[in-house]
Amino acid sequence: MEFLNSVLVKPFVDMAAAPDFLIQVLWEGLVSGVLYALIALGFVLIYKSSRIFNFAQGIMVVFAALTLVGLHERGVPAWLALPITLVVMYVLAWSIERVVLRPLVNQPDIILFMATIGITLFLIGLGEIIFGGENKRMITEELGIPTDAFLFEPFGGFVSIEQRDVVTVVGAVVLVCVLLLFLSRSKLGRAIRALGDDHQAALSVGISLSTIWVLVWFIAGVIALATGIAWGSRAGVSFALEVIAYKALPVLMLGGLESVSGAIVGGLMIGILEKLFEIYWGQPLLGGNTETWFAYVLALIVLLFRPQGLFGERIIERV
Amino acid sequence: MRNLVKSLIVTVALSAPLAAAPGALAQDAVSLPNLSYRTGPFAATGIPLMNGQRDYILMLNERDGGLNGLRLDYEECETGYNTEKGVECYEKTKATGIVTQPWSTGITLQVLPKSNVDKVPILAPGYGFSAMQDGKTFQWAFNPPASYWDGASMILQNISGGDLSSLKGKKIAFLHLDHPYGKEPIPLFEKLAAEHGFSFLPIPVGLTEMQNQSAQWLQIRRERPDFVLMWGWGAMNAGAITEAVKTKYPMNQFIGIWWAALDADLKLVGEQGKGYRAISWSYPNADAPVMQDIKKYVVDAGKSMINQAEGEFDWVFYQRGVLISMMLVEGIKVAQDHFGTKVVNAEQLRWGLENLKFDEARIKELGAEGMIPPFSTSCANHTGHSGAWMLEWDGTKFVKASDLLSADRAPVDELVGIEAKKYAEANAPWPVNEECKL
Amino acid sequence: MLYRIAGQYKTSYEADHALFPVKQDAWLLGAILLLAFVVFPLTANEFAFRALLIPVLIYSLAALGLNILTGYAGQLSLGTGAFMGVGAYACYKLVTIFPELNLLVAIALSGFFSAAVGVAFGLPSLRIKGFYLAIATLAAQFFLVWLFQKWAWLTNYSASVAIHVPNIDMFGITVAGPTAKAITQYYFVLGVVCAVTWLAINITRGRIGRIWKSVRDMDIAAELVGINLMKAKLSAFFVSSYIVGVAGALFVFLWRGAAEANLFDIPLSFRVLFIAIIGGLGSILGNFLGAILIVALPVLLSTVPHALGLPIAPSTVEQLNVMIVGALIVTFLIVEPHGLARFWAVIREKLILWPFPH
Repeated sequence: MEFLNSVLVKPFVDMAAAPDFLIQVLWEGLVSGVLYALIALGFVLIYKSSRIFNFAQGIMVVFAALTLVGLHERGVPAWLALPITLVVMYVLAWSIERVVLRPLVNQPDIILFMATIGITLFLIGLGEIIFGGENKRMITEELGIPTDAFLFEPFGGFVSIEQRDVVTVVGAVVLVCVLLLFLSRSKLGRAIRALGDDHQAALSVGISLSTIWVLVWFIAGVIALATGIAWGSRAGVSFALEVIAYKALPVLMLGGLESVSGAIVGGLMIGILEKLFEIYWGQPLLGGNTETWFAYVLALIVLLFRPQGLFGERIIERV
Repeated sequence: MRNLVKSLIVTVALSAPLAAAPGALAQDAVSLPNLSYRTGPFAATGIPLMNGQRDYILMLNERDGGLNGLRLDYEECETGYNTEKGVECYEKTKATGIVTQPWSTGITLQVLPKSNVDKVPILAPGYGFSAMQDGKTFQWAFNPPASYWDGASMILQNISGGDLSSLKGKKIAFLHLDHPYGKEPIPLFEKLAAEHGFSFLPIPVGLTEMQNQSAQWLQIRRERPDFVLMWGWGAMNAGAITEAVKTKYPMNQFIGIWWAALDADLKLVGEQGKGYRAISWSYPNADAPVMQDIKKYVVDAGKSMINQAEGEFDWVFYQRGVLISMMLVEGIKVAQDHFGTKVVNAEQLRWGLENLKFDEARIKELGAEGMIPPFSTSCANHTGHSGAWMLEWDGTKFVKASDLLSADRAPVDELVGIEAKKYAEANAPWPVNEECKL
Repeated sequence: MLYRIAGQYKTSYEADHALFPVKQDAWLLGAILLLAFVVFPLTANEFAFRALLIPVLIYSLAALGLNILTGYAGQLSLGTGAFMGVGAYACYKLVTIFPELNLLVAIALSGFFSAAVGVAFGLPSLRIKGFYLAIATLAAQFFLVWLFQKWAWLTNYSASVAIHVPNIDMFGITVAGPTAKAITQYYFVLGVVCAVTWLAINITRGRIGRIWKSVRDMDIAAELVGINLMKAKLSAFFVSSYIVGVAGALFVFLWRGAAEANLFDIPLSFRVLFIAIIGGLGSILGNFLGAILIVALPVLLSTVPHALGLPIAPSTVEQLNVMIVGALIVTFLIVEPHGLARFWAVIREKLILWPFPH
């Protein structure tokens, strides 16, 4: 009875008792969700165009962020470091396509997935040699991102909203909208979707596989940079960031592997629910630290009812 | 061509040379392996420490030609804080090295049971199992100059103004890495909490959540503890400090253990981190004679790996690394003097580490006055109980913010007795040092 | 000329169905077994045992388990590390609750716990397929590791939330714990691995193995032909998790000596997956070849600079090591996506024809 009470009643009572805290929790969940969605976007884009599950997205985030910070450390001003990093990401995208993807064009998905894990290992080693293992400060101010916080005082308590979090959320929304428009309205966007649908058919219509793939990996690189800046401004940039890729996977499960809107909705859902669960159920009842698995279990439950995720394409199997 | 490459790779891979013997040593030198990590998620905290350890030994070789004519070969074996690689490094170096420095509680866990069999002393300064203090049970393990339980006791002494009963009714949150390292002090805290009436709230941070601690700090905001004690390492420290600044938790109530005092992490928040304290048995003093010698013989000679642009020379961790090597070398010297031999072996080093006498005079002789509190080890006391200072971040660096604190021996020793006994029983037959009187 | 199959006639169906219809294969296996049972123990030093031979055997066993699930039954699983952990913790509890229990029996029993957990987390496979299933198994991975850390009963309420392997005797010889000799442990592991491999070969060559392969190739068609998908998939999870659990128990008891929850985290799962894929999905031999490449190679690579006297910093060696392994994985996938087992099959074909060109 007490157990039922603590699971079904007390958490909601707690929520109502401190509404300013609830707002803070919801905001933090929202920001987390947006951050997860940003990572997931990179995955989605690449999967959409080439059916490759690019595990290297996580390390690309770190690489992009470290390149930006590394350039700035060497005296390059921020407004110049940004485009140079984009060029570096382009070169990276081009070399990955040329060296790894082109020889593996028709292989089964699992092989391509493994290849991206191989790329991850390679980039981890290379990155550590080039950049070193220390934790570096993200150049948030130099990029023009404000670092103050807004302070509201509703319900007698206080809610603190970091301005850089606001910038992250707004930036992510803009990015998603731009992507959606790009994919549905522009010629290149249509080419990307065509390629994802059927390689052979797209090739026969005259769409160049390699050009589109390089473009897609480059856009994923841009997204990776944005993600790196967003995550790095929170607690610095180092190779420990590489584990955030694992956070994106439940988002992909929930939203579907090839849906951009699914990534953002899935991300928001997971971010908010995970935070709520951890604060109101996880910490008092389970000893905390439930964020490591909650997102996965949630996504698993949703998948049991909708095997393709909330927004994914229905899986049609032909026998 | 492809096939040739294929066959070459497979042949090399399959023909594993089994007798992989490590290289033989030259005359009059000892190998001092260090299971270091300059890669991986904990590299940020590892690098300055390992730089310090390396530079002290390099300085001795340059300035004095070694220790009484004995060349000291500092060797690193990269583990990346990975237990598997750690054990591999241990297996590789135990034959030729006279000491092992695991640098990770996880690796110490794996290596400790083997220490009796392999007979190589484990030097784990300020980490490892606090119960290693009991030299009778843990003959081959040393954790000078202070253990985690000492540190916990000293922090409590400091925040309660010397009288633990003044903590009655207060709430102390314990933010820790969800790893044996973070869990080490919990038994002592729980014991003292029950005894003195304060409430103790452990808040774990998983290894993958180190960069993402908003949930933990939201919990801290909700619980409003009087103090937050942190047992963090690697990326966790930076994550916690930035979150603390973000949720506006009063910095003067935020105290870390000696491994949560990395200058680089505090530099991320600069002025806003002012008031953050950490207990430390080492204090950086760039003007101390030993540091000046290191500057002259190693740093200025271009032999050091430190990041001079960041000012790593003045960091707490770098100079702590120097002191750690100092302890090791002192152990060798004590062994040299006692056994009357130049080349010291593992057995002799064990005796040396068991008989360290770091008194004020010796510390001054070594050129480290004011950097480390005096302590001495014995067969019953492998820790030394040196005491520690509270360091405070003033916006740009750490400064001393208290007199020398010392741990309350009674509860710590009691717990050590219990844990040592438990360990010996769980790993029976476990040989104890019969000659030692506790 | 080496693989002279001319003159090897089969006169009964049974003979034709033998495991090694070509005698030379049997001789080759015999030579390898001789190497493993006699030559290596005589020539290897302790480092070779503890850093090369024993881990290669244990990882091959774990990869074998994963291969049955992913290679034979087509269910991609990323939760191998956690299932190894279940086996290890189960064995620890059995050994501490029943100290008189023979270690072999304890390990065999702990596999069942792992199998049960595996089946429980394998239930979603009935609805979810492909990458989605892989991510679902990650739920098992993360949840179980969290559980290992939180459930104090598992570690007998140890202060450092870790398990230590006590000294365990078997017939008077210490086989586990700090005082066990490397050579004893090597023989123990070798024996268990041989036994389980023999079992796995027979299972995969039998009826259930064929059912799994049909599920892998096209599960809807298999269902149409009358195969019970639920039984097939869940039995795959059962057998696979059993073997993985046994590997996990060996991992802690016969190799590491101590373990804590983070040991069974994602990197371990990925490592076993690499071995299974590089070795070749759907083969038994591939696991051993893959393990040699993934486990032994980095160890050997890190001794190379020292042996050649190159002045490279150890951390750089480690980073280069990681890079080389990553590059090797990619190279192998490009060059031979079906893994080392296929590579061996191609070599064998060439040897059969040699010295003729075709």
